[in-house]
Amino acid sequence: MEAPPPGAPRSRRKVIAIVVAVILVLVAVTAAAVYYLIPAGFAGTIKVGFTISLTGTFNVEGTNSLNGIKTAANWINSHGGVVVGGKAYNVSLDFYDDQSVSGNIATLYTRIIQQDGAQFLLAPYSSGLTTAAAPLADQYNRVMLSHGGSSDAIWTQTSRRNLVEVLSPASLYLKGAVDWIKANHPTDQIAALYASDSFSSFATQAAIGYAQSIGLSVVYNQSYPATVTDLSTQLTAAKNQGAQDLIGGGHFNDGLLIMNQLKTTWTAPSPKFISLLVAVTEPTFQTQLGATANNVTGPSQWESIVSYSPSQAQSLGLTWYGPTPAEFTQLYGTLNSGATPSYHAGEAGASLLVLANAIQQSNSLNTTDVRAKLGSMHIMDFFGQFQLDSRGMQTAHSMVLVQWQAGAKKVVLPSDVADATCQYPYTGA
Amino acid sequence: MRLPAFRSLGPTIWGIGIFLILLGVSAPWIPLFLLTLLIGLLISATLAYSLNLITGLTGYVSFGHVVFMAFGGYALAFGVGTLKLPPVAGVALGAVVGLALALGIGVVTLRFRGVFFAIATLVVAVAALYIVLEIKELGDGQGIYLNVGFEPLSMFYTIWIILAIEIGVTYWITHGRIGYGIRSIKSDEDAANTLGINAARLKLSVYALSGLFAGAAGGVYAWNVSGAFPYDAFNLIFSLRMLAMIVIGGMGTLLGPLLGAVAVYIPSQFFLTVLIGFEFIIIGFVVVVIALFLPDGIVGTLRKYIPELRGILE
Amino acid sequence: MADVSLFLTDLALGLLLGCVFAVIAHGLNLIWGVAKVVNVAHGEFIMLGAYGAYWFNLWYGFNPLLSVPIDAAIGLGVGVLFYFVFLYRELRGKESMGLQSEMVTLVATFGLALFMINAVQSLWTGNNVGIPWSPGILQFGFLQLPLGGLYVAVVSVTIIGLSHIFLSKTYLGNAIRAYSQDISATRLAGINPTSTAAIGTALGFGITMAGGALLTVWLPTGIYPAMGNLYAPISFVIVVLGGPGKMWGSLVGGLTLGVIIDVGQLFVGSLSLAYAIAFLTLIPVLLLRPEGILR
Repeated sequence: MEAPPPGAPRSRRKVIAIVVAVILVLVAVTAAAVYYLIPAGFAGTIKVGFTISLTGTFNVEGTNSLNGIKTAANWINSHGGVVVGGKAYNVSLDFYDDQSVSGNIATLYTRIIQQDGAQFLLAPYSSGLTTAAAPLADQYNRVMLSHGGSSDAIWTQTSRRNLVEVLSPASLYLKGAVDWIKANHPTDQIAALYASDSFSSFATQAAIGYAQSIGLSVVYNQSYPATVTDLSTQLTAAKNQGAQDLIGGGHFNDGLLIMNQLKTTWTAPSPKFISLLVAVTEPTFQTQLGATANNVTGPSQWESIVSYSPSQAQSLGLTWYGPTPAEFTQLYGTLNSGATPSYHAGEAGASLLVLANAIQQSNSLNTTDVRAKLGSMHIMDFFGQFQLDSRGMQTAHSMVLVQWQAGAKKVVLPSDVADATCQYPYTGA
Repeated sequence: MRLPAFRSLGPTIWGIGIFLILLGVSAPWIPLFLLTLLIGLLISATLAYSLNLITGLTGYVSFGHVVFMAFGGYALAFGVGTLKLPPVAGVALGAVVGLALALGIGVVTLRFRGVFFAIATLVVAVAALYIVLEIKELGDGQGIYLNVGFEPLSMFYTIWIILAIEIGVTYWITHGRIGYGIRSIKSDEDAANTLGINAARLKLSVYALSGLFAGAAGGVYAWNVSGAFPYDAFNLIFSLRMLAMIVIGGMGTLLGPLLGAVAVYIPSQFFLTVLIGFEFIIIGFVVVVIALFLPDGIVGTLRKYIPELRGILE
Repeated sequence: MADVSLFLTDLALGLLLGCVFAVIAHGLNLIWGVAKVVNVAHGEFIMLGAYGAYWFNLWYGFNPLLSVPIDAAIGLGVGVLFYFVFLYRELRGKESMGLQSEMVTLVATFGLALFMINAVQSLWTGNNVGIPWSPGILQFGFLQLPLGGLYVAVVSVTIIGLSHIFLSKTYLGNAIRAYSQDISATRLAGINPTSTAAIGTALGFGITMAGGALLTVWLPTGIYPAMGNLYAPISFVIVVLGGPGKMWGSLVGGLTLGVIIDVGQLFVGSLSLAYAIAFLTLIPVLLLRPEGILR
């Protein structure tokens, strides 16, 4: 850089001022504009704030979750709202797109809490984003319900005050399938092949540990990077190890990749029992694979065909709150051009309902009261049971196991909400 | 090494200095949400200046700079989670890890020129993700979960100090003898070597510095998001954002990375509420236009077309 | 012996995988060798080719192999467009690609990549899609090979072989090779450098998009806007391994990568590490034999 022209101190100072001013004005103007983009809140509403992934890696799951939350909000507001101190409040939603990026979480949640004045919070979708949001709930004293972050580590590696879990923890995802294998085919050898991302890795490794602890034999244990192109070598190796059952998977892509490549690598004999995370619950799993999908099972937090009901709640001595599964499904369909809610929609909608119920039952808008009520209540809603342990983890909700049978998705476990029995062996290939 | 005399400090560095001081002094009174926004901005600026050192000033385009940020983040996560260090110590650990990693990677990859260097850095960043996925101590695929509370002021001042030092280092490099050496490497490395400049050692030192600051920024980032997760930490989007910032601001300039960071980061917050999904369409388009028609970025183009600014705007 | 048969199976699968990697890298090889331009957005054009095959399958029921020539034709047009938008200004009148121009095209194509991924995502959403085509297996004793992969391998080798013949035996091909070696000499020989470079680029893009179509055979639902982020680094490594501008180099590089991944995972015990090793082979090759494995 050349030295500044000699003998021109006044213009130099002027330009320093201009440079500083330009930067400051740039930052100030855009920040102020962003600051004032506050969605208007109505008096007499309870504002529930959250971020959700409308773009980025989780855009599909996030959008489904948002639709579930909106459905729940719609139901609450059209069924008397939330009654506190004799007054009925509507629920208003204050949400932003977090782009599936954890770097956006802090800025958005501080905005939600401080600018927008949200009284209660929902967590973002996915364990990573939930863990980024959780410290803010404790720091700024707001209750936060997790509907999309299931990794046990969120609650077991540290203590949380205000973050509670609505869905079943990740360690339980494949437990139903493993228990069924133990009860019906205890000599089967298990192969575990799963994606190495946060959730799939945790869920499958927990399942492996559990399987071994109850005496099952796990003969193959391999993870693969989530963006893999080819799993033929892994499937061949698993078959060579003598496995009869396959558990694991990760997300939709690799679930489908596994099933497709099973046809070319693991045949004669094919695996007898398959349980894959996430992919199996999608309707497109069956439309893409056709007959190959038959008798494949997969764990799910919820399906629209489960039979939780007020009478079931009554027989268990529990309070019921909210729509029945059928009512929720129908309302969701009305609001979303006939679409069927996925389990993301269900878990997210349930989190809002649970919150509304807790506020109502504690008869208070105060964080401490509502958190205490969440910690003590044991209810049932369309999503299943809700009860927390002392850490805030979910203990009463059960996963369901679904299985594709003759082109239709059936719930096969647990038996009290099932509409079909689990078929064995796998016949699809 | 003599520090340049106060009087001869250019207007640009004065301007930046005043801006930073104002920010630093007013921080405790800034509303919470704006404060967290500023933390994100300062992290982005630190990363931009870090890439500017090796790419803007020395002319070695790196696509894999995210690797330093990621390992800095993991260093913090490991330091705080396993070694139970306080977060600021974790950030320092991140800086050290970044420095060491840059030395290790640079010793090999800086032997390659131009596009081969770019591809080599990209490959290292991609391979690093696959390797970290298998390291149990770093949480393998599951990542490391932290909970150190949320203290925006501590985070702010940490990154503020890092950025201030980094800008100071950038100024010292560009105005000192090292600056001549680096700029000669950028224009013609072989000629520089024949002139007696030890290009290999210079490049490596600059790369090491850039790794240090990127590692520190990564540490603050991990602190901000309470964890280190492989697919999130090694996301190539970070490399792309850094590059976009210095291209838009002006590669190799003193003000460029800061302007670029503001130009890329602040509007990105808009795209979380309106025009969802359009952020990178616009950034991509702007980068193409700038690369083809205004290759010197905002600062460089201003300098080129407004002669009065040449002595003042760097 | 079970181990030997597993090794041989993995080797065969690795070779098949290598063939599809080779063809997706081949377009880059051609462009890099001819115009000396590294297209950072290369992955995005593979993605476009894959989406193209997906839609032809969706609307007309074409199987991906049939989409290959159609995608190639579209790629030709895209390539010409790309040349005139991005490269013409930089290359016109110049004798060679200096460092400054190299950086400009690097940065410009990087911006293009950003733009394309997100434009695609906004236009037709980021949902994963794919073509459900399963032609079956070929059984060779204990070797079980996917027919889809075999078809792709045949087409891939054919494309690479044809391009080699084109470059060495036809007039246009020789003109392109001359251009890549010495632009002023080419002009002296009466060949128009602009149209030569444009055609070379167009061919490169045509092959790239055809490669994207072939890739869909391997990916039942792996088509999404950002898929280029995985296949671009793979392409770069392959071209460097084989040597930019050497047609058969794509095959050598691709096969090397495929075998390292599929056989490597057997020895290292982890697919992740095998991928890491495969990528890192770039470094020793650049250090010891920067012009590529092929002589």
